[in-house]
Amino acid sequence: MAESPAFESPVVKRYKAATGALTLSDASAATKWLVRGPEAGAVADRLGASFGSSCAAEGGALVLGSRPGEWIVVGVPGAVAETVAGIDGPEQSDFVTALDWTHGRALFRVTGADAPRMLEKVCSLDWSDAMTPDGAVTSASVAKVTCDIARNDVDAKPSYLIFCDRSFGQYLFDALIDAGDEFGLSVAPADP
Amino acid sequence: MTMSRLGTARPTEVVDRSSKVRFRWNGKRFSGFEGDTIASALAAAGEHVFSRSMKYHRPRGILTADYWDPNLMVQVGDDPNVRAGHRLLEAGMDVRAQNVWPSLHRDIKALNGLVGRFLTAGFYYKTFMRPAWLWPTYERVLATFAPGGRIDPDTPHRYHDKRYTHPDVVVAGAGPAGIEAALAASAAGARVLLVEHEHAVGGHLRYSSSASARAALAELRAALDASDVEVLTDSTVTGRYEDNWLAIVQRSHPIAVERLIKARAKMLVVAPGLIERPYVFAGNDRPGVITSGAARRLINLWGVRPGERAVVFAANSAGDAAAADLDRVGVEVAAVIDGRDHRRVSAAQGSPKAVEAVLAGGSRIEADLLVVAAGWTAPTSLLNMAGDRPVYDPAAARFFASDPPGNVLVAGGLAGDGSLDELRAHAAATGRLAAQRAAAVAHRLQARTARARPAEGAEPAWAPDERTPLDRDPHPELYRSDTHGMVDFSEDVGSKDLVAAAREGYDSVELAKRYTTATMGPSQGKLETVNTVAAIAEARGETIAEVGTTVWRPPFAPITLGALAGRVFEPVRVSSIQPWHEANGVTTILAGQWVRPDHYGDPAAEVRNVRTNVGLIDVTPLGKLDLRGPDIPKLLNLLYTNKWSKLAVGKVRYGMMCAEDGVVLDDGVTGRLGPDHYLMTTTSSGAGAIWEWVENWLQTERPDWKVHVTPVTTAYVSINVAGPKARELVGRVSEGVDVSPEAFAYMEVRTATVAGVDGCFMWRIGFTGELSFEIHAPAGHGLHVWEALMAAGKDLGVGPFGLEAQRIMRLEKGHFIVGQDTDGLTLGPSTGLSPLIKLDKDDFAGKPELAWATERRLPVIVAIQPDDAGVVPAEASQIVRGETNEILGRITSSRLSPTLGRSICLGQVEPELAAGGTKLTVLLTSGERISATVMDHHAHFDPAGERLRG
Repeated sequence: MAESPAFESPVVKRYKAATGALTLSDASAATKWLVRGPEAGAVADRLGASFGSSCAAEGGALVLGSRPGEWIVVGVPGAVAETVAGIDGPEQSDFVTALDWTHGRALFRVTGADAPRMLEKVCSLDWSDAMTPDGAVTSASVAKVTCDIARNDVDAKPSYLIFCDRSFGQYLFDALIDAGDEFGLSVAPADP
Repeated sequence: MTMSRLGTARPTEVVDRSSKVRFRWNGKRFSGFEGDTIASALAAAGEHVFSRSMKYHRPRGILTADYWDPNLMVQVGDDPNVRAGHRLLEAGMDVRAQNVWPSLHRDIKALNGLVGRFLTAGFYYKTFMRPAWLWPTYERVLATFAPGGRIDPDTPHRYHDKRYTHPDVVVAGAGPAGIEAALAASAAGARVLLVEHEHAVGGHLRYSSSASARAALAELRAALDASDVEVLTDSTVTGRYEDNWLAIVQRSHPIAVERLIKARAKMLVVAPGLIERPYVFAGNDRPGVITSGAARRLINLWGVRPGERAVVFAANSAGDAAAADLDRVGVEVAAVIDGRDHRRVSAAQGSPKAVEAVLAGGSRIEADLLVVAAGWTAPTSLLNMAGDRPVYDPAAARFFASDPPGNVLVAGGLAGDGSLDELRAHAAATGRLAAQRAAAVAHRLQARTARARPAEGAEPAWAPDERTPLDRDPHPELYRSDTHGMVDFSEDVGSKDLVAAAREGYDSVELAKRYTTATMGPSQGKLETVNTVAAIAEARGETIAEVGTTVWRPPFAPITLGALAGRVFEPVRVSSIQPWHEANGVTTILAGQWVRPDHYGDPAAEVRNVRTNVGLIDVTPLGKLDLRGPDIPKLLNLLYTNKWSKLAVGKVRYGMMCAEDGVVLDDGVTGRLGPDHYLMTTTSSGAGAIWEWVENWLQTERPDWKVHVTPVTTAYVSINVAGPKARELVGRVSEGVDVSPEAFAYMEVRTATVAGVDGCFMWRIGFTGELSFEIHAPAGHGLHVWEALMAAGKDLGVGPFGLEAQRIMRLEKGHFIVGQDTDGLTLGPSTGLSPLIKLDKDDFAGKPELAWATERRLPVIVAIQPDDAGVVPAEASQIVRGETNEILGRITSSRLSPTLGRSICLGQVEPELAAGGTKLTVLLTSGERISATVMDHHAHFDPAGERLRG
């Protein structure tokens, strides 16, 4: 059987890649799984992130407590596979399901000291360190698109992962570029 | 009134005399300096008339020289109603007077003044009521008298921005009290947003001549610069809503003409200062009659001498300061009339450029400037919006806060009087109190928000208000002299109008306001509310406290529609195949938020190709829900009207969903992919609503059921391969699946590898009536799969088809569309799918209503063909009884069928008309009536379904 073709990002426009104090990158190719189960119990203990928070799994995947009893596991394929391996199925005492959500969700990363101010233009949440600290996970409307958002700082700089329905990907990417324009946002190369 | 630029710069001046700015005023060239407002530049150039009044077109000059000045509304380019007292001068501005003809100085509409005594309050209501049929004519004529500037509909949209913020403390007003409160709150650890209406912070200190005031301002500015306080100038807190949700309009921003800031503040400090109100006397609206604040601003901010010879009516220290400033810059102060000694100005008279002050008692003083300092309006709007009902203090002659909620504090002149040091000390205490209370709110929010940093320790106690109240300076109650004059300069409402209104029975301030329109103009009551109340109180023989004020509602200051609209976010959705569509001549259609291929040039040709060869359509928006868990059959039995317990793995079933009232909600197919794994499809438009519907049932009614539902609409690209050669094409690109009719029958589902892409679902269903394979491929490989199908089918004549071709083919096949052929009243049995309504099931959504509905005679969806095959009735055309207008149904869908070469329709008709062969009369939109025939089947084409099942 032939190998699967390359992943096609929802962001199809071409941007001049650059780096700067505030960057936006497309990380849609990352593997994403959605796990659902009881809010408390074996699966919650195994994944480690309670609702509203995130943590790094042993294999390096990032686990987001996206809703009560719901987790998003994101990362490179092997790391995610390690985290979700055998997590669901009839052998589990609790009712747990896990599905590959890679193709259903676009994923972008915004990084920089001005990232909170940029997000203030497209989202009504409080981005202060007290209300949305590093590791926080939430859901909100971003430029009128429902998104899951995780703060995941990079090199001590505020950084946010923004997940949205894949079909909104190009629209939201452009809306974020527009919002970041006054802060000198540049489009960084796609996040591996 | 002869105004001119002072020869020597004032120490408080904000203009840069080295930077000249050229602009035009009513077509003539003028110049001012950087830092000038439009009004100050014109005043410095000797202009003394800036507008005409709304009703009587009386000449108007500077009154307050600030944002609130009702006489300084001008047109700047395409921008109407610009406040020349506030808008800063820009090079190349084209400034014009509004609503004057033929010119500002010779305005023919000033003739209204001659009949002014007939244009009293309620004139329009009384005069233009009868005869009613003439109202359109009245309206046309009256429209020519409408005030305001001109709006050019072709003006390009400008960039209006939006921002959300969550400061601990918002301070509204950056006078000395506001700055002090902001600094104190910030020093106490609060995140503070300081909002100033003017272009710079400092309030009245900015235009005070005293060295101590200048020193205090410098000190405050330096402290502000060194602090973490975020300062917004030229911005207004324009509304306060529940829980300190504040609307702030930021008028100056580098990237936007305006930015609407939605701030959720934990505490609000209201410190807008006081607004000087005019005094009512005959001629008080003449050019040359100005407030003391206007005189001081002109002199000290912009270096403009406001006249040559002045009379000052001073009832307070602001009047004294104005007299001193006038004297300081060489204006002859002919007299200071001290209102504190019960002396009064009775009237202003004179020629256009002179003002003769007539004093009570009859003595006259010639001058060209009459400066009035008669008292203050407390702008309590934000307090009103917070639910407070300010109370009037006759000793201080102004309103004060009553009992605002605990998250709203008051500082500055709104709170009381005192020395600058006393006001600053009170404001600092206010800032500290605000910070303390904000900390308690922040603690509560952190403790209750899952994502927040855990709150440390116990919630801080709600800090008590232990501030020492400010004193209140006595002030004479000066509202109207012994003559009548203008109360509302914006609306041309005089004290005489208000007295007349009260006599006519409009004696409540709220009624009088609406009847006379006093306080309803661009000044929004800032200058005229208290004088309005005073006039009504006088007419009623009551006190101001007894009359009370109108309720101030948002906005605090007028707000543009552009600012309210903010940035227009219009999300659109596209499938992964969109780049291919765009590269291949697609014409798109916006369906909900989806950008979908409507056609690729010739929908009829697309239909013929599908009927003859094979076509591909991108149906990605088709709603898809991934269902997992052992209780899925129970869920499906609950949601659909038909039965689902025995659906085998690999099988697909059609179902119809009805709401609790029996109305058709959605329809689609659901396939069983594994023992506890199903894929449900919904209509494209219903995808979101049905997900919520399913979750609602699971979360609120059946939380014990083990089912997880995940929307996967765009996780998969959905491609329908339709046509007699579909099997051949799909077989060429698929692995791991036998596509022969024996192995893969109609209404079955398989997992397959398509074009090398694993994890695709493929099912034998279709909407076109043709042999169809619907492929759902992981979206990240969707374009690849589509392109592979197109490449593999070249020799088969494969081509894309769009939504229009699909709609034609589904109509040929007689498939109804929920929302198109049904409506909000269409009950399940009307669809003709009664066999799918299984009333013998234990329970399902809508069962009681459907049981009842099956006993009723309901409209029925039927296929209809016009007898004239070339006539296509417009959708929604009525089906009527003969030559009457009795409605018996309507056409719900209609097209010209390329396959049949004739027009075809679906429609809803009364049940007695539903039998095949029944003749109908269709009323076309042209008014013509045509005959049509009800068909035996829904399907106009291949009613036996041989092609579909092939």
